[in-house]
Amino acid sequence: MTDYAAPDLPAEILLIEDDPEIRRVLRTTLSLERYNLREASTAMEGMKTIASCQPDAIILDLGLPDKDGIEVIHQVRQWNKLLPILVLSVRSREQHKISALDGGADDFVNKPFAVGELLARLRVADRRSSSILTERMDAIFRIGQIDVDLARRKVTVAGEEVHLTRIEYKLLQILIRHADMVVTHSQLLNEAWGPNHGDQVHYLRVYMLQLRRKLEKDPARPRHLRTEPGIGYRLITEPLAR
Amino acid sequence: MVAAICTVVSVAFRKRIDMVNFAMVYLFGVLVVSVRCHRAAAIVNATLSVSAFYYFIVPVHDSFVLEDYTYIITLCAMLAVALVITTLIERVRSQAAAVRDAEIAIQTERMRNSLLSAVSHDIKTPLAAIYGAATSLLEEEDRLNAVNRRELVGGIAAEVERMNRVITNLLKMTRLEAGVHVKKDWYPLEEIVGAAATRFEHAFGGRSVMIKIPPDLPLICVDDVLIEQVFVNLLDNFLKYTPAGTALEIIAGQDDSRIFVIVRDHGGGFSPGDEERVFDKFFRGKTDGERGLGLGLAICRAIVHGHEGTIAAETALDGGAVIRFELPIGGAPPAVGELPESSLA
Repeated sequence: MTDYAAPDLPAEILLIEDDPEIRRVLRTTLSLERYNLREASTAMEGMKTIASCQPDAIILDLGLPDKDGIEVIHQVRQWNKLLPILVLSVRSREQHKISALDGGADDFVNKPFAVGELLARLRVADRRSSSILTERMDAIFRIGQIDVDLARRKVTVAGEEVHLTRIEYKLLQILIRHADMVVTHSQLLNEAWGPNHGDQVHYLRVYMLQLRRKLEKDPARPRHLRTEPGIGYRLITEPLAR
Repeated sequence: MVAAICTVVSVAFRKRIDMVNFAMVYLFGVLVVSVRCHRAAAIVNATLSVSAFYYFIVPVHDSFVLEDYTYIITLCAMLAVALVITTLIERVRSQAAAVRDAEIAIQTERMRNSLLSAVSHDIKTPLAAIYGAATSLLEEEDRLNAVNRRELVGGIAAEVERMNRVITNLLKMTRLEAGVHVKKDWYPLEEIVGAAATRFEHAFGGRSVMIKIPPDLPLICVDDVLIEQVFVNLLDNFLKYTPAGTALEIIAGQDDSRIFVIVRDHGGGFSPGDEERVFDKFFRGKTDGERGLGLGLAICRAIVHGHEGTIAAETALDGGAVIRFELPIGGAPPAVGELPESSLA
């Protein structure tokens, strides 16, 4: 993992997925994007491949024939905190996704997925793992018209300074650290308030509401502070036109 | 019990009525029990009635010293009445049950047929389009130019999205019918509406979608994923069934212990008389071209009812469709602000 992302070497991605058609589609697309794809169709095979060839990222299906994909996440996270893990999952199984994310997955993509979305999520997960490696954070973080001066804790919207309470700023900070990635309710509660507040998600919702009202032009149709219903929040830095 | 009542009545009127009429009182009791109860109860009641009749009513009170002969005849008559009546009633009951079963079977069959025809149409049509496009990409590869190819591939993507919507709705309905597992918590309505609206941000294009929620609206105790689905289905209908360029308004407010939501478009509204039926499963209103499974509003109703709320449809004066639903707030919303900011990690 130490020699991650040498710029001219294609990154190696391990796909653990039992469906051959999905493997075929991803093999074709990822090769166009200069990724090297390794494939595994079971959790066992996947674990072996991780150990032997040390991929740069994992795309993981949760419904594997031999084991729940969540167990793969737990095992990987025991010895590697940084390896990006992107989960492929079926919508409407929110609880399953939360277990995967709280277990250490970086993000998820709902099946059926657009390849563009999957690649975007993969790049974001890559970026996170490399920025943690270097422990570097930009002095000013820009989200559309919102500028967050991380050194001076100052937030401006379209040039106008906005006053945030300590909790609001803290939440924004956490979301910035996970920019463009989903952050679960329990992750936010733990990081902002510490443990033992896990059952008080409604506080979080009210603070997020206030944060939206201060930062978003139309808080009922947020561009940046997005809700992932049943899961958590996602800070979108640049809403993509599709 | 009935025998006892008959006895009390008869004893009360002993002085005034003729002996034969007492027998009628008991006979009436036996009839009632035979119609209402099972055979065993009717037989027990008949026997008790005859015994009571002879014990309490027939002169030479308080003893069975009577000609056993009359006693046995009365007993047989009463038993016969009880048996005939219960047998008749049971036959009628079982016939009624059979008719009811048949009706349910017919309804289920009708439901299954409309489901099958809807599903086979709405899944097979996109499948046909996808298969057609894919095979022509495979087989006519050399003769297709870049524009043709793009068109075919774009068609595949669009049809898959449509199929995904149909299947998702079907699965949702199935799950809702199997009994909604409502996972409630306190939410600002604004967040739920916002989550649904952002899903459609691209689809809206430039169309005006105005969301008006009073900033002081209390939190509401609901299942966010389900209520979001209500908004998703309503927004989906707006995009499917109203002319391009028309606007949509979503207005919410508080009405005592309930929160109401009005979703109003400016399209063609509902056909007169359809306002109730639009919530029925597999019902499709008049549509020009766009066809759905007829499940969107049925799902909305199932979810709203699962929250002890109400939902109704009407056509506004300008002809647009209006859906109004109300949900109970669900108790006293928790106070927020108790978590001291100093407890920040």
